[in-house]
Order: sequence, then structure tokens, then C-alpha cells
Amino acid sequence: MANTSTKQVQIIYGDATLGLRGEGFGYIFSYERGGMESLVQHGKEWLYRTPKPTFWRATTDNDRGNGFSVKSAQWLGTDMFLKCTKVDVAVNGNAIELPISPENNKYSNHEFADNVTITFTYETLTVPATTVTAAYTVNGTGKIKVSVDYHGKAGLPELPAFGLRFIMPTAAKGFNYDGLSGETYPDRMAGGETGHYTVDGLPVTKYLVPQECGMHMQTKQVTVIRNRTLDNTDHDNHDFNLTFLQAGQSFAFSCLPYTAEELENATHIEELPAPRRTVLTVFGAVRGVGGIDSWGADVEQQYHISAEEDHSFSFAIKGV
Amino acid sequence: MKPELGWLDDPQTFRVNQLPAHSDHRFYQSDTDLATGQSRFTQSLDGTWQFKFAKQPSERPVGFYEPDYDRSDFDTITVPEHIEIAGYGRLKYINTTYPWEGKIYRRPAYALGQDQKGEGMFSDGEDNYVGAYLRTFTLNPELRKQQRVVVQFDGVEQAMYLWLNGQFVGYAEDSFSQSEFDLTPYLKDGENLIAVEVFKRSTAAFIEDQDMFRFSGIFRSVRLVGQPAIHVQDMRIIGNLADDMTTGDFSLKLQLNRHDNAKGNVKVAIMDADGNSLFDTTEAVNDDVEINHKMFKNVHLWQHTDPYLYQLKVTVLDEQGAVVEIVPYQFGFRRVEMKNKIMLLNGKRIVLNGVNRHEWDAKSGRVISVDDMKQDLKTFKENNINAVRTCHYPNRIEWYYLCDQAGIYMMAENNLESHGTWQKMGAVEPSYNVPGSLPEWREAVVDRARSNYEVFKNHTAILFWSLGNESYAGDDIAAMNAFYKEHDDTRLVHYEGVCRNRKYEDQISDMESMMYDPPKEIAKYLDNDPKKPFVDCEFMHDMGNSLGGMSSYDALIDKYPMYQGGFIWDFIDQAIETKDEVTGQTVLRYGGDFDDRHSDYEFSGDGLMFADRTPKPALQEVKYYYGKHIN
Repeated sequence: MANTSTKQVQIIYGDATLGLRGEGFGYIFSYERGGMESLVQHGKEWLYRTPKPTFWRATTDNDRGNGFSVKSAQWLGTDMFLKCTKVDVAVNGNAIELPISPENNKYSNHEFADNVTITFTYETLTVPATTVTAAYTVNGTGKIKVSVDYHGKAGLPELPAFGLRFIMPTAAKGFNYDGLSGETYPDRMAGGETGHYTVDGLPVTKYLVPQECGMHMQTKQVTVIRNRTLDNTDHDNHDFNLTFLQAGQSFAFSCLPYTAEELENATHIEELPAPRRTVLTVFGAVRGVGGIDSWGADVEQQYHISAEEDHSFSFAIKGV
Repeated sequence: MKPELGWLDDPQTFRVNQLPAHSDHRFYQSDTDLATGQSRFTQSLDGTWQFKFAKQPSERPVGFYEPDYDRSDFDTITVPEHIEIAGYGRLKYINTTYPWEGKIYRRPAYALGQDQKGEGMFSDGEDNYVGAYLRTFTLNPELRKQQRVVVQFDGVEQAMYLWLNGQFVGYAEDSFSQSEFDLTPYLKDGENLIAVEVFKRSTAAFIEDQDMFRFSGIFRSVRLVGQPAIHVQDMRIIGNLADDMTTGDFSLKLQLNRHDNAKGNVKVAIMDADGNSLFDTTEAVNDDVEINHKMFKNVHLWQHTDPYLYQLKVTVLDEQGAVVEIVPYQFGFRRVEMKNKIMLLNGKRIVLNGVNRHEWDAKSGRVISVDDMKQDLKTFKENNINAVRTCHYPNRIEWYYLCDQAGIYMMAENNLESHGTWQKMGAVEPSYNVPGSLPEWREAVVDRARSNYEVFKNHTAILFWSLGNESYAGDDIAAMNAFYKEHDDTRLVHYEGVCRNRKYEDQISDMESMMYDPPKEIAKYLDNDPKKPFVDCEFMHDMGNSLGGMSSYDALIDKYPMYQGGFIWDFIDQAIETKDEVTGQTVLRYGGDFDDRHSDYEFSGDGLMFADRTPKPALQEVKYYYGKHIN
């Protein structure tokens, strides 16, 4: 392949979306849906709904026992109904007027840039409210650098989690990652051994009551492998994949067929719906699971996530 | 003697015509039998029994044990099996409250006054369902030749009456200890009819309130055992160490049953693990045969990392020199002691990397197989687990032998928990606690201590006796402690409940034992010149996605010599495998899933293993931290 570093990304200044294209990739960011609506690499769609910041974790037995879910219940509503309040676009690092009609009439069908950043601002449904931004910077290789910033606010209850959740159209065949063995949390990862691990399917840990599970701390990269799409013209069932990379610090992730809310609602694993999506969440902050007891003892203080402080994380999605 | 239904209501009646508990040694007719492990002195009664279920005592088939009773409407059941797993009784899980919560008002007999005897509480209890069990057997020729034939029930929950050929034999409570009865007077040639009436509840219900699925029925094996004219009825083996920690200090006491003062000899041999003889003696048969403090230089010590076992072989010979019976027993040399307020094994500080283990199999409840046990030991080994608390009852006998061999430090717990009588909705409220200091309950609980001691006393793996779980404290539990102190100076005694009633702390438990104390609280205890070393009899409650923060407990081990580790709660989830009523797929179900109310629901799932014996993700964390202190 040619020297990709000189490649530019093509910008499609749509009326409802901002399209970013290049060789082997096409991304669409929706002003209406408040996020990235389409992530296509090599003709395969990776997004079912726009990724959104996530704040909830399916209540663990310990969370139930110590009343954490009750204290932090506001974050469940925010997790489900978060609204996008603002979109900003920058081209080559320079902010531009939001390119919606008629502002976008000044552009053409051959607009190119070295990189484009689109930033979505979300307002939480908490009292008091605060904001979170998710910024996507795309270059000509299709590489996406994602930065997510939470703005702390006094008076908010502790966060169950803080991440960015991608819902993919079909259930993955599996994933592999460079990180720690097994399921790990900040207060339960000493036994995790560093290595490259391959996971078949999207296993949900079979706790008697479905709950937060499948976390992988200290990850350098994770690659999701699928072999099916929802495209009616796509009869190919070869594997294709998407890779999330460390950008700066390592990250935590889980890769499950369900959202926290789906897990939350089941009393038994068999009540969960048939797996049909992939829910890949990259976490910037993970709360410990605790373990002193299951009827009141809190998670140790250093493994809490304060909502009164700022939290930021970033990672990259590999280009083509 | 006539059996009385009122025994169910009377805490002072808990064993009738039962033989005294004795050591769990096996015995064989020949070296050939010994080599195969199949004793011709035993005859299994496991298998299919006739069965009739009655919802309450008044509906039970009275007289079903009579040979001419019309049993044409009887079903069948498997022995061993829980009546609930068989589908007759409803499956139920509950933690601390009594299983009749919200349905029947009960207070333990005598707890609120001498005049409150609880008559009819269980004998006429509408929830006290009854299983009538019955089968025939013909004695094997080898057993017919023996002097005495006894029947052993390894586990019957929760009260049982026994008849043979229409004649009443005896009565037993204590679901988790072996009950043995002499059948000799009632046996006949040809076919014999054995009948057992099992009651779901008795006064034992108040002291068997463990956090578990509530079952009933004959759930462990039943067998006939023939005993020859000279028989080793009981043996006490002590493989201790002298102060130099290298010289083995061996003592043996045999108690022999002799028919008509039969004469003969007893040969005692000790070999190392490879069969090399170390010691040999022959003594004339007597009621008691003793070897006291025989010293062996430079013995191979028994410990977790090297569970070396010597072989004792007792051969009973008749006057003509013919072998009457051979009793093998493997034992280790090891020394347990408290020195400078630290518990030592072979002179070294003990660090317990332990788990609490309920007996559990998702398919069959507390009916577990030897394969289940072996698999559990494999999991122990792979994850650096060195200790087990038999929470909260004596386990199947095989487990103790396997722990001897695997080098697992055992805290052997009595069948005792009266949680619901002193703790209500989390608050300590012992207004009707039993056994407490009630004289009417004392013998029942001391008997449980006695059974636990007598049966298992020869197991090297047992370092600690545990008086029971979460039963508060009073004179009765102090009496249990005293029993162990009178009978066994080679082990230490554990009991957590004394921390709930400090008045008894000088009489009960050699160690300070707490459950679920946060690391900071433990440090506070250890920083204040405590009287006893500290053990977590339960910690790291592994319910669902848990086991976070283990490093804080681990840090105590290096900081405080008097912190001696603990037992994670617990080893395996209690959940029952069944078919999903919607999809037909195999699923695991927990409390409340059987329309059982009042329930504690998923609280039964606190294991390091899922109920199907696959590991939970947290296990790698246990392996890591326990691996730091292998001892």
C-alpha cells in the first residue's frame, strides 16, 4: 500500500450527517442521533446504534447488598436516556461552523482534510446535571482516535462505571485481546496473568443472577471478530474484524451480547434474550466489585469512582 | 420398647437404642479383601426402596413396617436421595430464618420457660412430612456367620425410626452423623424386612438451621455390617511429635468387643508408606489393648506440602491363629499446638488458605459422589487451597480420608446451627436462643460433639474441631468445648459464636474467630494485645461477581503473626439443575425458584465454583493470593 500517512480523508458535508470517507472505510456521524452512526471498514458495518457514554453496570450481588444501586440510581436513567446537546466539528484542528444546511452549501463534492474531529456533548439526567464529551478524530487511514471526558460535579452520587458503549449489528464470533487473563476488576486483578487471549463467542459469566461481568482490565488492544452482517446483499460469511487500540494508557473493556440494562432485568441467565448483538464497551473507569460481605460492606474506597471529579480516557479504533 | 411420636417434640430424646459412636475404621477378612478395598463384612442397602410419602404425621401409614401391612399403594425411591429431589417434597432454600417462617409460629421447647414443652409442635406439625421407607434383604452368607450384625445409616435428615421384621429397633436425630443400630436380635434366616420412617422435622430443626437447601430423607448410604466374635469396636491413634519435632510419639488404644470373652491375639504393625516395617507387636486379646508413647526417630512429618502417611495394620487372630479381621489405617505424624498465642503445625505457624465447603452436587443436592470429592481436591490443589471447614456439619466419611491423603487442613465442624433463634433480620436478639444454657438441650448438642469426635478422631488432617456455626453461646456450647478438651489434647477447638457473647470467651474456642470482619477491624483487634490468635472462619463472601479486595486480607498475614488466615465463603454455589419450564434447556435454579417462600433467593450462590463445578472467574485471584503463603 502507498504511504498512508499522506492520505487525506474525504469529508461529505451532509444535511443530517457528517460523512468521512477514505480507501476502505466510510464513517457517518449523525447530528440527530448524537453520535457515530456508521463505521464501515471493507464494506462491513460495525455500528447498530450510535455509541454513547455509559454509566451503569448491572447490579452485582454486592451492589444490591450494600445499597449502591439505590444510592447511584440516577446513573441508570442517564445510561438509558442520555441526550446529546451539542455537536462541534473541527477540520485539521480548526473549529468550523456546524456544517448543516444552509451552512454546508458552501462545500463541494471533493472536500479533503488531514484530519477531522467531531465532538458530541451529552448532558446527564442527574441532579445536578453535568456534561460528557466524546470526540472522534479521523485521519486518512481511517484511524479513529476517541477521547471521552466526564466533567465532575459536586453532589453527584458515585459512578457505577464510565465508558463508551458500541453496539454492533450482529453477535461476534469471538474476540481476542492483549491484557489480563480471565475476568478482572480493579480490586480483583492480581491473579490475572498478562498475555494474548482468545475468547470464543460472547460469554456471559453464569452468575446465578445475571450481573456486571466480563470486565478485562489493563488491555492494550482488543479485536472483535464477526462473520455476519445485517446487509441483505452480503452473502459472505468470512471473518472480518475491528480493533480497538490503546492510545496513551491501557484501557478496560467488556465484550458481551447485552447492555447493562438487559442484564439488569434478568433474574436468571436463561431469561436473557437470544444473543444477537455485540456490546463492546471501552471503560475509562471501573468500580471494584468488593467482597468483604454481600449485605452491606462497601467496595474499598480506592476502588470507587467519584462523580465529583473529572474522568478522561482515550483509545483508538484501528484504520484500514 | 414402643416408639413414641412425642420424641420429635422432645429435645432430650435424640437417640434411642443407637450404638455408641466409634472410629470410622474399616475392617476386612483377609489381605486379599484389604487389597481390593471390598470388605466381605459389609452389605450395601443402597438402591431402590419402597416408599410412601405423607404430607403430615397424621396422614402417615401407621404400622407400615408390619410384615403383613398392605403396601400395594407404595411408590419407590432411591437410597440415597433427598425426598425433595425425588419430587415428593418441595425444594426450599433459606438462610437464617426457620423454614416455617410466615407459616407456623414455633418457639423451641423450654426456651421461653420450663412449662413450654412444645408438645405436638412437630409430632403434629402440619409441615412435618413423612417418608416411609422399606425394603427386604437376605443376609450375605459371610454376614450370617458373624457374631453381630449392625445397620449403619450415614445420613438421614432429620429424624428416623427404625424397625426390622416388624419390631422396633431405634430412633435417631443428627442428620449428618452416622447412626448405627444392632439388628442381631431381630434378624431371621431368609428374607428380612427393614423399615424406616423419616420425619422432615423434629426438635433437631432448631439446631440444624444451616444456610442451605432444606432437604429430608435418607441422603447417604445405608449398609449392614457383620462383626466377628472378636472385633475392634473402636480405635484411637495418636501420631504426635516429641518436642524435638522429629521424633514420632505414637499411641494406640483399641477397644475390642469379645463374644464370651473369646481369646486370641492382636498383632499391631506399623509400616512406612512403602510398606517397610517399623514396628511390630503381638498382644493377647483383651477388652482394651494399648500402646503408649512408642517413639520413632526421625519420622517423615505430615503437612500440606508433603502429606506423608504411615500405615497401621491391626490383625485380630483367634486362638488357633486364624485371621479374624484386619483393620488398616493410614496416619501421619504431626503436632498441633498453641505457643505464644500462635497456632503451630510441626512447630511452624499455620496460615490457613481455606475454603468453607458445603457438600453439593447440582443434580442431587447434598448427595455427593466420591468423584465430586476428588474433583474438589483437584481444584484445591490447583488453586493453592490448603484448608477446609466442613461447614456446617460432618461430611461423608470418605472426605476425611481423602483430606488425610491430600494434606488438607481440616476444621471438622459439628452439625449445629441455631441461627434463627438469636439473630433476626441481622440483629442479635437471643431471646429464645437454643441450645443456650438450657439443660434440656445440652445432651443433644454434646452428643453431636461426641459423634463428630468419636467417628473422625483418627484423621490426621483434622487440626481443629469446630463446635458448630452461628448458634450464639451459652453453657451448652461451653459443654461441647469441654468435651473436646477432655478427650483430645492433640487438636485445637474453634467456635465463632462466642464473639457474640463475650461472657464465655475464656471457656469456648482457642482462637478468636470472626466472620466477614473488614481487614481494618481485624488489624484493630491484633493491635490491641489480644488473648487469642485470629482466624476468619468465613471471609471474602463470593456471592456472584465478588472477591474484590483480597489483598487487604493478604497483607495481614505478613504483618501479624497472630493472624492465621481463614476460610473463604464458600467453595461451591448451591443451585439445583433442572429443566427450564419454557425452553427445556438445562438450567440452574436457586431459592424461590420452586415457589418456596419465605426464601433468601440467590444468597445460596456464594461459591468459588458454580454449582456445576465449573470455576468462577474469581478463582484465579484465590490462586494468586493463596499461592503467596503455601505452607
